[in-house]
Amino acid sequence: MYGGILAVKPFSGLFTPAVVLAAGLFVLPLAASAADAELVNPYAGREDIVEEGGSLLNQYCSHCHGPWAVQGERPRDLRRLNLRYGDYAMSTFYTTVQNGRPPKGMPPWKGILEDDIVWKIYTFLQSVQVED
Amino acid sequence: MSRVSRKVLTGIAGVVLVTASAASFADRGQWLHYGGNDRSNTRYSELKQIKTSNVHKLKVAWMHSLGSLETQESTPLVVGDTMYVTTSTGPRYVFALDAKTGKTKWAHQPEMPNDYFATVCCGLDNRGVAYSNGKIFFGRLDAKLVALDANTGKKLWTTTVENYRNGHAITSPPLIVNNLVVTGIAGGEYGIRGFIAAYDQETGEEVWKTYTIPGPGEPGNETWKGDSWKTGAGSTWGVGSYDPKLNMIYWSTSNAGPWGGHTRSIDSSEFGDLTNKWTASQLAFDADTGAIKWGYQFTPNDVWDYDGINEAVLYDLKIGGRTVPALMHADRNGFFYVLNRATGELISADPFVTVNWATHIDLKTGRPVEAANNEKRPQLGKWARNVCPNLIGGKNWSPMAYNPDTGLVYLPAFNMCMDIANKEEEYTPGRFYLASEFNLDMSGASGDHLAEFMAWDPVKKEKAWVINEDLPFVSGAMTTAGGLVFYGNQHGMLKAVNAKTGKVLWEFDVGTGIIQSPMTYTVDGKQYLAVVAGRSKGPPSFFGKIGQRVVDASPEGGILVVFEL
Repeated sequence: MYGGILAVKPFSGLFTPAVVLAAGLFVLPLAASAADAELVNPYAGREDIVEEGGSLLNQYCSHCHGPWAVQGERPRDLRRLNLRYGDYAMSTFYTTVQNGRPPKGMPPWKGILEDDIVWKIYTFLQSVQVED
Repeated sequence: MSRVSRKVLTGIAGVVLVTASAASFADRGQWLHYGGNDRSNTRYSELKQIKTSNVHKLKVAWMHSLGSLETQESTPLVVGDTMYVTTSTGPRYVFALDAKTGKTKWAHQPEMPNDYFATVCCGLDNRGVAYSNGKIFFGRLDAKLVALDANTGKKLWTTTVENYRNGHAITSPPLIVNNLVVTGIAGGEYGIRGFIAAYDQETGEEVWKTYTIPGPGEPGNETWKGDSWKTGAGSTWGVGSYDPKLNMIYWSTSNAGPWGGHTRSIDSSEFGDLTNKWTASQLAFDADTGAIKWGYQFTPNDVWDYDGINEAVLYDLKIGGRTVPALMHADRNGFFYVLNRATGELISADPFVTVNWATHIDLKTGRPVEAANNEKRPQLGKWARNVCPNLIGGKNWSPMAYNPDTGLVYLPAFNMCMDIANKEEEYTPGRFYLASEFNLDMSGASGDHLAEFMAWDPVKKEKAWVINEDLPFVSGAMTTAGGLVFYGNQHGMLKAVNAKTGKVLWEFDVGTGIIQSPMTYTVDGKQYLAVVAGRSKGPPSFFGKIGQRVVDASPEGGILVVFEL
């Protein structure tokens, strides 16, 4: 379903045409393995970005995902991204932010949140991932 | 038969045989409107078979699964021997049940788009239906208003009230007034412009629509900076009240939008006339035309999300030797207001929880006197620390009840504070528009407990008694002539309390959190107590670790439980 959305919408940014094609042909996890290789978080490992990223998450995401990503509903717990999606965490995060999951309540943020903000939020989230 | 109009009774006559002498008993045994048996939202029932001396004998009569796991916020209606109840998620179902046995008479499943979830801010709720003249009316989260045949469940008409993709939704039942069905609208976190709108019960055609925020050329538009009125919120997601004698409708309005006040007023307590009318206000409307008769603003230039939609409870109170047609309102901003509902005159405003954003309400000007030096007012890039109450309010939508026998109001209160700051943000239709950042993971000033269920004396302006609750989101209240108050909590405990003393007389664990008031009714001369349960799911996400405790207190659920002696 998300693959279908990727295929019909013109894409810009970090996805290459090959990724768009893959996303159109396969379900998300398969596409994501290709995407993870292409996606780059420009702030990866930048501890000085963590607090700003948390503050941006508080502003745009906390009404569902909790302040500093702390809340109790397991399905929308962003501290479990790595645990849940493993090697596909980054691409699943990025794709979901871009396209949303409207039937589950996640709006699409493409064209509203700049990539810079999205990656700062992701950098914060990587600092609060749980083991189990 | 209190304030139920002849027209409503005529409508019911098809279902229940009403004779002059039997009318009052049959009528008292029903629950005809969201807020009780009339439209004054007292949630007071004259029934007294269940009373302080026998309430401990209550046992389950029947149960019904609501078939949905989101927060359950519906108040069932009972008309004749039929109960009408909605479920969360849209609603997912509208049920007509035999009120004596629970047997399903019909079930209606609305056909809903699958993307409305993304434009509903705070939980996929629905608070129930309205009944008039053989018809059931309800609003949906995709901003449609629907009429069903009360006997068969057959759909009679569907009207699109607004575009849900821009953040509009309907969460509360409409108000029945004469031949009209009047609805409010949600969307205060999406930059909508609030209104209430009236539709013909027969056809679903719009009769009038009144915006809560005046447009250019209308009085009050000058209280907004530039074009900010267009996205200024003032939504009406709560319920209305109605006084048939005055023919006035009462509805109150949400926070101004976005929360960050620098976008629409002066970024300081010295904002002068830029008060952002009529947000965070009580409004009175002419029922025939929708014209605003009077307005009173609880929180001018709101920056705390002191959303003012809490219900207006109408009752004539004896204050200082004279009888006042009162309107009682416990606001998110922490003050309990008594207004004259005929004129809008402010009679009293007193804190019922710890309040520090304002020192008091000036009774002459009607305006709050804010804490000095903007200490508790968030500004662009500047945090206000330890602001009480927090944005969930001293009280939220869960309804209070007024008992004329005790003269007390029973209400669920929060004991919580917050840090909050304004931020820059662009408006995008259909996206959250707050321009604010906040931390709500803080307890209040009155001890470790995060909530209180209290009895408030609206004439003496003080608490009569209080029950401390460990977790926030205590349910609404319902009170009876049996000397009882009923409420529940997020652990799933349903409680019966002595209305005079606050002593807990009976408890029952329904298995999942309770946030809506219980209700009561009779069938064949026997009194029943009903409660919907299904713990809160949306708002606790705002609250960090405190919210986690609420979520951990009980599993999500959806159940209707009915009790008998």
